[in-house]
Amino acid sequence: MAWYNEQGKMTDTVISTRVRLARNLVGYPFPSSLDSTSANELIEKLSSPLEESGFRKIHFSDISAIMATSYVERHYVSPSFATAEGPRALFLQEKPDLAVMVCEEDHLRIQSILPGFDPESGYQKAAAVEHRLDREFDFAFDEELGYLTHCPTNLGTGMRVSVMMFLPALSASSCIGSLSVQLAKLGLTLRGAFGEGSGSIGGLYQISNRLTLGYAEEELIQALSEAVIQIAERERRARKSIRGEALEKLTDRIKRSEGTLRYAHLLSGKELIRLLADLRLGISLGIVQGIRQEQLTSLLVEGMPATLTLSSENAPRNEASRDKLRAQKAQSILLGG
Amino acid sequence: MLCENCKKRTATVFYNEKLNGKSRSLSLCGECASKLREKGEIQDVTSMIESFADPFWATQDTLFNDFFGISSLPKKAEHSACSFCGSTLTDILQNGKVGCPECYSTFRDALTPLMRSLHGTSLHRGSVPQRQLAVRARNEQLGKLRKELQKALSEEDYESAASLRDEIRTLENGKEMNQNGLV
Ligand SMILES: [Zn+2]
Ligand SMILES: [Zn+2]
Repeated sequence: MAWYNEQGKMTDTVISTRVRLARNLVGYPFPSSLDSTSANELIEKLSSPLEESGFRKIHFSDISAIMATSYVERHYVSPSFATAEGPRALFLQEKPDLAVMVCEEDHLRIQSILPGFDPESGYQKAAAVEHRLDREFDFAFDEELGYLTHCPTNLGTGMRVSVMMFLPALSASSCIGSLSVQLAKLGLTLRGAFGEGSGSIGGLYQISNRLTLGYAEEELIQALSEAVIQIAERERRARKSIRGEALEKLTDRIKRSEGTLRYAHLLSGKELIRLLADLRLGISLGIVQGIRQEQLTSLLVEGMPATLTLSSENAPRNEASRDKLRAQKAQSILLGG
Repeated sequence: MLCENCKKRTATVFYNEKLNGKSRSLSLCGECASKLREKGEIQDVTSMIESFADPFWATQDTLFNDFFGISSLPKKAEHSACSFCGSTLTDILQNGKVGCPECYSTFRDALTPLMRSLHGTSLHRGSVPQRQLAVRARNEQLGKLRKELQKALSEEDYESAASLRDEIRTLENGKEMNQNGLV
Protein backbone atom coordinates (compact mmCIF):
# COMPACT_ATOMS: atom_id res chain seq x y z
CA MET A 1 0.00 0.00 0.00
CA ALA A 2 1.44 3.31 -1.05
CA TRP A 3 1.12 6.57 0.92
CA TYR A 4 -1.89 7.65 -1.12
CA ASN A 5 -3.93 4.64 0.03
CA GLU A 6 -3.21 5.07 3.72
CA GLN A 7 -4.90 6.87 6.58
CA GLY A 8 -3.20 9.94 7.98
CA LYS A 9 -3.49 12.65 10.63
CA MET A 10 -5.43 15.89 10.12
CA THR A 11 -6.71 14.81 6.72
CA ASP A 12 -9.53 17.38 6.86
CA THR A 13 -6.93 20.02 6.00
CA VAL A 14 -3.73 18.17 5.03
CA ILE A 15 -3.23 15.80 2.09
CA SER A 16 0.40 14.80 2.54
CA THR A 17 3.70 15.57 4.25
CA ARG A 18 7.02 15.24 2.49
CA VAL A 19 10.54 15.55 3.86
CA ARG A 20 13.55 15.57 1.59
CA LEU A 21 17.26 15.50 2.46
CA ALA A 22 19.87 16.44 -0.15
CA ARG A 23 23.27 14.78 0.22
CA ASN A 24 26.40 14.47 -1.90
CA LEU A 25 29.40 12.18 -1.73
CA VAL A 26 32.94 13.46 -1.40
CA GLY A 27 35.13 12.80 -4.42
CA TYR A 28 32.60 13.25 -7.22
CA PRO A 29 31.44 16.43 -8.96
CA PHE A 30 27.71 17.17 -8.71
CA PRO A 31 25.55 15.17 -11.16
CA SER A 32 25.35 17.95 -13.77
CA SER A 33 29.10 17.57 -14.38
CA LEU A 34 29.28 13.83 -13.77
CA ASP A 35 30.14 11.54 -16.71
CA SER A 36 28.10 8.37 -17.33
CA THR A 37 30.83 6.06 -16.04
CA SER A 38 31.06 7.85 -12.70
CA ALA A 39 27.28 8.16 -12.47
CA ASN A 40 26.91 4.40 -12.94
CA GLU A 41 29.67 3.80 -10.43
CA LEU A 42 27.84 5.97 -7.92
CA ILE A 43 24.54 4.15 -8.47
CA GLU A 44 26.36 0.84 -8.08
CA LYS A 45 28.07 1.93 -4.85
CA LEU A 46 24.80 3.06 -3.29
CA SER A 47 22.87 -0.01 -4.41
CA SER A 48 24.02 -2.54 -1.85
CA PRO A 49 23.25 -0.63 1.37
CA LEU A 50 19.94 0.56 -0.05
CA GLU A 51 18.92 -2.83 -1.38
CA GLU A 52 19.91 -4.42 1.92
CA SER A 53 17.56 -1.97 3.65
CA GLY A 54 14.67 -3.14 1.50
CA PHE A 55 14.76 -0.65 -1.37
CA ARG A 56 14.17 -1.75 -4.91
CA LYS A 57 16.20 -0.18 -7.69
CA ILE A 58 14.61 1.32 -10.79
CA HIS A 59 17.01 2.48 -13.50
CA PHE A 60 15.26 5.45 -15.08
CA SER A 61 17.14 5.14 -18.35
CA ASP A 62 15.52 1.70 -18.80
CA ILE A 63 11.86 2.42 -18.15
CA SER A 64 9.18 3.70 -20.52
CA ALA A 65 8.25 7.36 -20.62
CA ILE A 66 4.78 6.63 -19.29
CA MET A 67 6.16 4.66 -16.36
CA ALA A 68 8.56 7.52 -15.56
CA THR A 69 5.65 9.95 -15.68
CA SER A 70 3.63 7.78 -13.32
CA TYR A 71 6.42 8.00 -10.74
CA VAL A 72 6.11 11.79 -10.99
CA GLU A 73 2.34 11.60 -10.51
CA ARG A 74 2.82 9.47 -7.41
CA HIS A 75 5.28 12.12 -6.09
CA TYR A 76 8.27 9.80 -5.93
CA VAL A 77 10.44 11.69 -8.42
CA SER A 78 10.69 15.21 -9.83
CA PRO A 79 9.66 15.97 -13.42
CA SER A 80 13.25 16.88 -14.25
CA PHE A 81 14.44 13.49 -12.98
CA ALA A 82 11.79 11.70 -15.04
CA THR A 83 12.67 13.54 -18.24
CA ALA A 84 16.45 13.79 -17.81
CA GLU A 85 18.93 11.80 -19.84
CA GLY A 86 21.87 9.80 -18.61
CA PRO A 87 22.20 7.25 -15.83
CA ARG A 88 19.98 7.84 -12.82
CA ALA A 89 18.13 5.55 -10.48
CA LEU A 90 15.22 5.63 -8.09
CA PHE A 91 15.38 3.46 -4.99
CA LEU A 92 11.90 2.90 -3.71
CA GLN A 93 10.47 1.40 -0.59
CA GLU A 94 6.80 1.30 0.22
CA LYS A 95 5.25 1.46 3.65
CA PRO A 96 6.54 3.77 4.86
CA ASP A 97 7.05 5.45 1.53
CA LEU A 98 10.68 6.31 1.00
CA ALA A 99 12.14 7.33 -2.32
CA VAL A 100 15.82 7.93 -2.96
CA MET A 101 16.72 9.60 -6.23
CA VAL A 102 20.34 8.99 -7.20
CA CYS A 103 21.86 11.50 -9.62
CA GLU A 104 19.10 14.05 -9.65
CA GLU A 105 20.45 17.55 -8.98
CA ASP A 106 22.40 16.16 -6.04
CA HIS A 107 23.91 12.69 -5.73
CA LEU A 108 21.21 11.75 -3.25
CA ARG A 109 17.75 13.04 -2.65
CA ILE A 110 16.26 11.05 0.22
CA GLN A 111 12.55 11.63 0.49
CA SER A 112 9.79 10.36 2.73
CA ILE A 113 6.11 10.83 1.94
CA LEU A 114 3.29 10.36 4.41
CA PRO A 115 -0.45 10.82 4.16
CA GLY A 116 -1.82 13.69 6.25
CA PHE A 117 0.22 15.80 8.63
CA ASP A 118 3.27 14.21 10.25
CA PRO A 119 6.53 16.13 9.69
CA GLU A 120 8.35 14.64 12.70
CA SER A 121 8.03 11.05 11.64
CA GLY A 122 8.60 12.09 8.03
CA TYR A 123 11.94 13.51 9.11
CA GLN A 124 12.81 10.51 11.28
CA LYS A 125 12.16 8.12 8.41
CA ALA A 126 14.27 10.07 5.92
CA ALA A 127 16.99 10.58 8.54
CA ALA A 128 17.13 6.83 9.27
CA VAL A 129 18.02 6.17 5.63
CA GLU A 130 20.54 9.00 5.74
CA HIS A 131 22.20 7.56 8.89
CA ARG A 132 22.43 4.15 7.27
CA LEU A 133 24.31 5.68 4.31
CA ASP A 134 26.39 7.96 6.55
CA ARG A 135 27.95 4.83 8.08
CA GLU A 136 29.37 3.84 4.71
CA PHE A 137 29.94 7.01 2.73
CA ASP A 138 31.62 10.36 3.24
CA PHE A 139 29.02 13.06 2.71
CA ALA A 140 30.30 16.40 1.46
CA PHE A 141 30.14 18.61 4.54
CA ASP A 142 31.58 21.90 5.66
CA GLU A 143 31.80 23.03 9.27
CA GLU A 144 30.29 26.44 8.34
CA LEU A 145 28.00 25.70 5.40
CA GLY A 146 26.77 22.29 6.50
CA TYR A 147 25.90 19.70 3.85
CA LEU A 148 27.17 20.90 0.50
CA THR A 149 24.68 20.90 -2.35
CA HIS A 150 24.61 21.72 -6.05
CA CYS A 151 22.23 24.61 -5.51
CA PRO A 152 23.25 26.98 -2.69
CA THR A 153 19.59 27.29 -1.68
CA ASN A 154 19.80 23.81 -0.12
CA LEU A 155 22.97 24.27 1.91
CA GLY A 156 23.04 23.55 5.62
CA THR A 157 20.55 20.86 6.47
CA GLY A 158 19.75 20.07 2.83
CA MET A 159 16.24 19.59 4.14
CA ARG A 160 12.98 20.63 2.57
CA VAL A 161 9.78 19.87 4.46
CA SER A 162 6.57 20.36 2.62
CA VAL A 163 2.96 19.98 3.64
CA MET A 164 0.21 19.84 1.03
CA MET A 165 -2.80 21.59 2.55
CA PHE A 166 -6.43 21.62 1.51
CA LEU A 167 -7.74 25.16 2.04
CA PRO A 168 -10.98 25.63 0.10
CA ALA A 169 -12.63 28.04 2.55
CA LEU A 170 -9.59 30.30 2.97
CA SER A 171 -9.08 30.20 -0.76
CA ALA A 172 -12.71 31.21 -1.42
CA SER A 173 -12.46 34.12 1.03
CA SER A 174 -9.32 35.29 -0.82
CA CYS A 175 -7.04 35.23 2.26
CA ILE A 176 -4.35 33.26 0.49
CA GLY A 177 -2.42 36.34 -0.67
CA SER A 178 -2.08 37.80 2.81
CA LEU A 179 -1.37 34.39 4.26
CA SER A 180 1.47 33.97 1.82
CA VAL A 181 2.98 37.30 2.91
CA GLN A 182 2.74 36.34 6.59
CA LEU A 183 4.36 32.99 5.94
CA ALA A 184 7.20 34.59 4.00
CA LYS A 185 8.12 36.54 7.14
CA LEU A 186 8.47 33.22 8.97
CA GLY A 187 10.78 31.84 6.28
CA LEU A 188 8.03 29.70 4.79
CA THR A 189 6.76 29.52 1.23
CA LEU A 190 3.18 28.98 0.14
CA ARG A 191 2.38 27.84 -3.39
CA GLY A 192 -0.71 26.64 -5.19
CA ALA A 193 -0.75 23.07 -6.46
CA PHE A 194 -2.37 21.99 -9.71
CA GLY A 195 -2.35 25.53 -10.97
CA GLU A 196 -0.12 28.26 -12.24
CA GLY A 197 1.82 30.56 -9.92
CA SER A 198 -0.01 31.02 -6.65
CA GLY A 199 -3.41 29.96 -8.06
CA SER A 200 -4.79 26.50 -7.42
CA ILE A 201 -7.50 24.19 -8.64
CA GLY A 202 -9.08 22.20 -5.89
CA GLY A 203 -7.92 24.42 -3.01
CA LEU A 204 -4.58 22.63 -2.72
CA TYR A 205 -1.59 24.57 -1.42
CA GLN A 206 1.87 23.58 -0.42
CA ILE A 207 3.70 25.09 2.53
CA SER A 208 7.43 24.50 2.81
CA ASN A 209 10.52 25.90 4.50
CA ARG A 210 12.48 28.38 2.42
CA LEU A 211 15.57 28.45 4.61
CA THR A 212 17.83 25.45 5.05
CA LEU A 213 20.93 27.00 6.62
CA GLY A 214 21.38 28.39 10.12
CA TYR A 215 18.69 26.34 11.87
CA ALA A 216 18.62 22.84 13.25
CA GLU A 217 16.27 20.39 11.52
CA GLU A 218 14.01 20.29 14.58
CA GLU A 219 13.68 24.09 14.59
CA LEU A 220 12.75 24.19 10.92
CA ILE A 221 10.17 21.45 11.44
CA GLN A 222 8.72 23.16 14.48
CA ALA A 223 8.31 26.52 12.75
CA LEU A 224 6.56 24.84 9.84
CA SER A 225 4.37 22.68 12.09
CA GLU A 226 3.18 25.63 14.14
CA ALA A 227 2.24 27.52 10.99
CA VAL A 228 0.40 24.53 9.52
CA ILE A 229 -1.58 23.94 12.71
CA GLN A 230 -2.61 27.60 12.84
CA ILE A 231 -3.62 27.67 9.20
CA ALA A 232 -5.62 24.47 9.64
CA GLU A 233 -7.43 26.10 12.56
CA ARG A 234 -8.20 29.19 10.47
CA GLU A 235 -9.45 27.03 7.64
CA ARG A 236 -11.76 25.13 10.03
CA ARG A 237 -13.15 28.40 11.39
CA ALA A 238 -13.71 29.69 7.87
CA ARG A 239 -15.59 26.48 7.02
CA LYS A 240 -17.77 26.82 10.13
CA SER A 241 -18.60 30.42 9.28
CA ILE A 242 -20.38 29.34 6.09
CA ARG A 243 -24.07 29.61 7.02
CA GLY A 244 -27.54 30.34 5.67
CA GLU A 245 -27.98 30.66 1.95
CA ALA A 246 -24.27 30.28 1.27
CA LEU A 247 -24.33 26.92 3.05
CA GLU A 248 -27.43 25.84 1.08
CA LYS A 249 -25.65 26.65 -2.18
CA LEU A 250 -22.46 24.94 -1.09
CA THR A 251 -24.39 21.84 0.00
CA ASP A 252 -26.07 21.71 -3.39
CA ARG A 253 -22.74 22.00 -5.19
CA ILE A 254 -21.15 19.28 -3.07
CA LYS A 255 -24.08 16.89 -3.57
CA ARG A 256 -24.03 17.50 -7.31
CA SER A 257 -20.28 16.81 -7.32
CA GLU A 258 -20.86 13.55 -5.46
CA GLY A 259 -23.50 12.62 -8.02
CA THR A 260 -21.16 13.40 -10.89
CA LEU A 261 -18.31 11.42 -9.37
CA ARG A 262 -20.59 8.44 -8.77
CA TYR A 263 -22.41 8.44 -12.11
CA ALA A 264 -20.42 10.31 -14.78
CA HIS A 265 -19.46 8.37 -17.89
CA LEU A 266 -16.49 10.60 -18.79
CA LEU A 267 -14.26 12.54 -16.39
CA SER A 268 -11.38 14.81 -17.34
CA GLY A 269 -8.39 15.15 -15.03
CA LYS A 270 -9.19 18.75 -14.15
CA GLU A 271 -12.82 17.94 -13.42
CA LEU A 272 -11.72 15.10 -11.16
CA ILE A 273 -9.52 17.45 -9.10
CA ARG A 274 -12.45 19.86 -8.67
CA LEU A 275 -14.92 17.14 -7.72
CA LEU A 276 -12.52 15.61 -5.22
CA ALA A 277 -12.10 19.02 -3.56
CA ASP A 278 -15.89 19.34 -3.20
CA LEU A 279 -16.16 15.87 -1.69
CA ARG A 280 -13.28 16.40 0.69
CA LEU A 281 -14.95 19.56 1.96
CA GLY A 282 -18.28 17.71 2.05
CA ILE A 283 -16.86 15.00 4.30
CA SER A 284 -15.48 17.51 6.80
CA LEU A 285 -18.82 19.39 6.87
CA GLY A 286 -20.78 16.17 7.32
CA ILE A 287 -22.57 16.66 3.98
CA VAL A 288 -21.00 13.61 2.35
CA GLN A 289 -21.16 10.31 4.16
CA GLY A 290 -19.76 6.85 3.61
CA ILE A 291 -16.59 8.08 1.86
CA ARG A 292 -13.22 8.38 3.60
CA GLN A 293 -10.61 11.11 2.93
CA GLU A 294 -7.96 8.56 1.95
CA GLN A 295 -10.21 7.20 -0.80
CA LEU A 296 -10.18 10.68 -2.29
CA THR A 297 -6.39 10.89 -2.08
CA SER A 298 -6.10 7.48 -3.78
CA LEU A 299 -8.30 8.73 -6.56
CA LEU A 300 -6.40 12.00 -6.85
CA VAL A 301 -3.23 10.01 -7.61
CA GLU A 302 -4.69 7.03 -9.46
CA GLY A 303 -6.76 9.31 -11.69
CA MET A 304 -3.65 11.00 -13.09
CA PRO A 305 -3.16 10.25 -16.79
CA ALA A 306 -0.06 8.05 -16.76
CA THR A 307 -0.89 6.14 -13.59
CA LEU A 308 -4.43 5.64 -14.85
CA THR A 309 -3.23 4.39 -18.21
CA LEU A 310 -0.85 1.91 -16.59
CA SER A 311 -3.58 0.56 -14.32
CA SER A 312 -5.56 -0.78 -17.27
CA GLU A 313 -4.80 -3.91 -19.25
CA ASN A 314 -6.15 -2.29 -22.41
CA ALA A 315 -4.31 1.01 -22.29
CA PRO A 316 -6.60 3.83 -23.46
CA ARG A 317 -5.35 5.30 -26.73
CA ASN A 318 -6.97 8.71 -26.65
CA GLU A 319 -8.31 11.27 -24.25
CA ALA A 320 -11.95 10.20 -24.49
CA SER A 321 -11.20 6.61 -23.62
CA ARG A 322 -8.95 7.77 -20.82
CA ASP A 323 -11.74 9.97 -19.46
CA LYS A 324 -14.02 6.94 -19.53
CA LEU A 325 -11.46 4.85 -17.68
CA ARG A 326 -11.09 7.67 -15.13
CA ALA A 327 -14.83 7.67 -14.46
CA GLN A 328 -14.75 3.89 -13.99
CA LYS A 329 -11.75 4.20 -11.63
CA ALA A 330 -13.61 6.81 -9.57
CA GLN A 331 -16.64 4.59 -9.22
CA SER A 332 -14.66 1.49 -8.29
CA ILE A 333 -12.61 3.35 -5.65
CA LEU A 334 -15.72 4.96 -4.12
CA LEU A 335 -17.55 1.61 -4.01
CA GLY A 336 -14.52 0.03 -2.40
CA GLY A 337 -15.11 2.23 0.68
CA MET B 1 10.29 25.74 -14.24
CA LEU B 2 9.47 27.79 -17.34
CA CYS B 3 7.79 26.45 -20.48
CA GLU B 4 10.45 25.38 -22.97
CA ASN B 5 8.39 26.61 -25.89
CA CYS B 6 7.34 30.16 -24.99
CA LYS B 7 9.81 30.59 -22.09
CA LYS B 8 7.24 32.83 -20.44
CA ARG B 9 4.61 30.84 -18.57
CA THR B 10 5.15 28.23 -15.88
CA ALA B 11 5.48 24.71 -17.25
CA THR B 12 2.59 22.60 -16.05
CA VAL B 13 2.75 19.76 -18.57
CA PHE B 14 5.58 17.31 -18.80
CA TYR B 15 5.66 15.41 -22.03
CA ASN B 16 7.92 12.56 -22.83
CA GLU B 17 7.92 9.97 -25.55
CA LYS B 18 10.07 7.16 -26.78
CA LEU B 19 9.95 6.73 -30.55
CA ASN B 20 12.16 4.13 -32.24
CA GLY B 21 14.36 4.00 -29.18
CA LYS B 22 14.87 7.76 -29.14
CA SER B 23 13.47 9.64 -26.21
CA ARG B 24 12.34 13.22 -26.20
CA SER B 25 11.05 15.25 -23.31
CA LEU B 26 9.51 18.67 -23.01
CA SER B 27 8.23 20.81 -20.17
CA LEU B 28 5.42 22.99 -21.43
CA CYS B 29 2.74 25.37 -20.29
CA GLY B 30 -0.86 24.32 -20.88
CA GLU B 31 -1.32 26.69 -23.81
CA CYS B 32 1.79 25.64 -25.72
CA ALA B 33 0.99 21.97 -25.09
CA SER B 34 -2.41 22.24 -26.75
CA LYS B 35 -0.96 24.29 -29.62
CA LEU B 36 1.75 21.70 -30.26
CA ARG B 37 -0.82 18.94 -30.10
CA GLU B 38 -3.04 20.64 -32.65
CA LYS B 39 -0.04 20.99 -34.92
CA GLY B 40 0.70 17.29 -34.42
CA GLU B 41 4.19 17.97 -33.10
CA ILE B 42 3.59 15.99 -29.95
CA GLN B 43 1.47 12.87 -29.95
CA ASP B 44 1.43 10.47 -27.10
CA VAL B 45 -1.19 12.25 -25.02
CA THR B 46 -1.25 9.49 -22.45
CA SER B 47 2.11 10.57 -21.16
CA MET B 48 1.08 14.13 -20.47
CA ILE B 49 0.30 15.40 -17.05
CA GLU B 50 -2.32 18.04 -17.51
CA SER B 51 -2.22 20.97 -15.13
CA PHE B 52 0.17 19.04 -13.04
CA ALA B 53 2.59 21.40 -11.40
CA ASP B 54 3.89 19.91 -8.21
CA PRO B 55 5.23 22.85 -6.23
CA PHE B 56 7.47 20.56 -4.20
CA TRP B 57 9.94 20.45 -7.05
CA ALA B 58 9.38 24.01 -8.20
CA THR B 59 10.17 25.63 -4.85
CA GLN B 60 13.78 25.44 -5.74
CA ASP B 61 13.42 27.43 -8.95
CA THR B 62 12.07 30.50 -7.22
CA LEU B 63 14.79 30.32 -4.64
CA PHE B 64 17.29 29.91 -7.37
CA ASN B 65 16.03 33.07 -9.06
CA ASP B 66 16.50 34.93 -5.79
CA PHE B 67 20.09 33.81 -5.88
CA PHE B 68 20.45 35.12 -9.41
CA GLY B 69 19.34 38.53 -8.22
CA ILE B 70 22.56 38.98 -6.27
CA SER B 71 24.81 40.76 -8.72
CA SER B 72 27.64 42.09 -6.58
CA LEU B 73 30.30 40.04 -8.33
CA PRO B 74 33.65 40.10 -6.61
CA LYS B 75 36.10 40.80 -9.43
CA LYS B 76 39.43 39.42 -8.36
CA ALA B 77 38.86 35.67 -8.08
CA GLU B 78 37.08 35.41 -11.40
CA HIS B 79 39.86 33.67 -13.30
CA SER B 80 40.89 31.02 -10.84
CA ALA B 81 39.29 27.62 -11.36
CA CYS B 82 38.32 24.85 -8.95
CA SER B 83 41.14 22.30 -8.95
CA PHE B 84 38.69 19.39 -8.75
CA CYS B 85 36.00 20.21 -11.34
CA GLY B 86 37.38 23.21 -13.24
CA SER B 87 34.45 25.53 -12.50
CA THR B 88 35.26 29.22 -12.27
CA LEU B 89 33.50 31.69 -10.02
CA THR B 90 31.91 33.23 -13.10
CA ASP B 91 30.44 29.81 -14.03
CA ILE B 92 28.97 29.42 -10.57
CA LEU B 93 27.46 32.88 -10.42
CA GLN B 94 26.06 32.66 -13.93
CA ASN B 95 24.38 29.29 -13.32
CA GLY B 96 23.49 29.90 -9.71
CA LYS B 97 24.73 26.35 -9.17
CA VAL B 98 27.99 24.98 -7.90
CA GLY B 99 30.21 22.47 -9.74
CA CYS B 100 31.43 20.20 -6.97
CA PRO B 101 31.69 20.18 -3.16
CA GLU B 102 35.31 21.38 -3.45
CA CYS B 103 34.16 24.62 -5.12
CA TYR B 104 32.74 25.81 -1.80
CA SER B 105 36.24 25.82 -0.28
CA THR B 106 37.96 27.16 -3.39
CA PHE B 107 35.61 30.15 -3.61
CA ARG B 108 34.80 30.48 0.07
CA ASP B 109 35.65 34.18 0.31
CA ALA B 110 33.39 35.08 -2.58
CA LEU B 111 30.55 32.67 -1.78
CA THR B 112 30.19 33.17 1.97
CA PRO B 113 28.73 36.71 1.72
CA LEU B 114 26.33 35.46 -0.96
CA MET B 115 25.20 32.62 1.27
CA ARG B 116 24.67 35.14 4.03
CA SER B 117 22.37 37.25 1.89
CA LEU B 118 20.58 34.16 0.59
CA HIS B 119 19.97 32.46 3.92
CA GLY B 120 20.41 35.34 6.36
CA THR B 121 23.34 33.45 7.89
CA SER B 122 26.28 31.39 6.80
CA LEU B 123 26.61 29.15 9.81
CA HIS B 124 25.18 25.64 9.83
CA ARG B 125 23.44 24.56 13.03
CA GLY B 126 21.85 21.28 11.99
CA SER B 127 22.97 17.68 12.14
CA VAL B 128 26.47 16.61 11.13
CA PRO B 129 27.95 13.43 9.65
CA GLN B 130 29.36 10.88 12.13
CA ARG B 131 32.80 11.42 10.69
CA GLN B 132 32.57 15.13 11.43
CA LEU B 133 31.72 14.41 15.05
CA ALA B 134 35.00 12.51 15.29
CA VAL B 135 36.84 15.47 13.77
CA ARG B 136 35.25 17.82 16.30
CA ALA B 137 36.12 15.53 19.20
CA ARG B 138 39.73 15.33 18.02
CA ASN B 139 39.97 19.10 17.68
CA GLU B 140 38.73 19.50 21.21
CA GLN B 141 41.22 16.94 22.44
CA LEU B 142 44.03 18.74 20.61
CA GLY B 143 43.08 22.03 22.22
CA LYS B 144 43.17 20.41 25.62
CA LEU B 145 46.55 18.78 25.04
CA ARG B 146 48.07 22.03 23.78
CA LYS B 147 46.98 23.80 26.94
CA GLU B 148 48.49 21.05 29.05
CA LEU B 149 51.71 21.35 27.06
CA GLN B 150 51.87 25.08 27.76
CA LYS B 151 51.39 24.39 31.42
CA ALA B 152 54.03 21.66 31.50
CA LEU B 153 56.52 23.95 29.74
CA SER B 154 55.88 26.84 32.12
CA GLU B 155 56.38 24.46 35.03
CA GLU B 156 59.55 23.16 33.38
CA ASP B 157 58.17 19.61 33.51
CA TYR B 158 60.02 18.53 30.34
CA GLU B 159 59.24 14.87 30.68
CA SER B 160 55.47 15.46 30.54
CA ALA B 161 55.95 18.04 27.78
CA ALA B 162 57.76 15.52 25.58
CA SER B 163 55.05 12.90 25.94
CA LEU B 164 52.35 15.52 25.35
CA ARG B 165 54.14 16.61 22.17
CA ASP B 166 54.14 13.02 20.94
CA GLU B 167 50.48 12.70 21.68
CA ILE B 168 49.70 15.92 19.84
CA ARG B 169 51.76 14.84 16.85
CA THR B 170 49.93 11.52 16.59
CA LEU B 171 46.55 13.22 16.75
CA GLU B 172 47.57 15.86 14.21
CA ASN B 173 48.73 13.25 11.73
CA GLY B 174 45.41 11.47 12.09
CA LYS B 175 43.66 14.77 11.48
CA GLU B 176 45.61 15.43 8.31
CA MET B 177 44.70 12.06 6.93
CA ASN B 178 41.09 12.79 7.64
CA GLN B 179 41.11 16.27 6.21
CA ASN B 180 42.26 14.92 2.89
CA GLY B 181 38.96 13.11 2.80
CA LEU B 182 37.20 16.27 3.85
CA VAL B 183 35.85 18.94 1.61
ZN1 LIG C 1 4.51 27.98 -23.27
ZN1 LIG D 1 34.59 22.33 -8.12
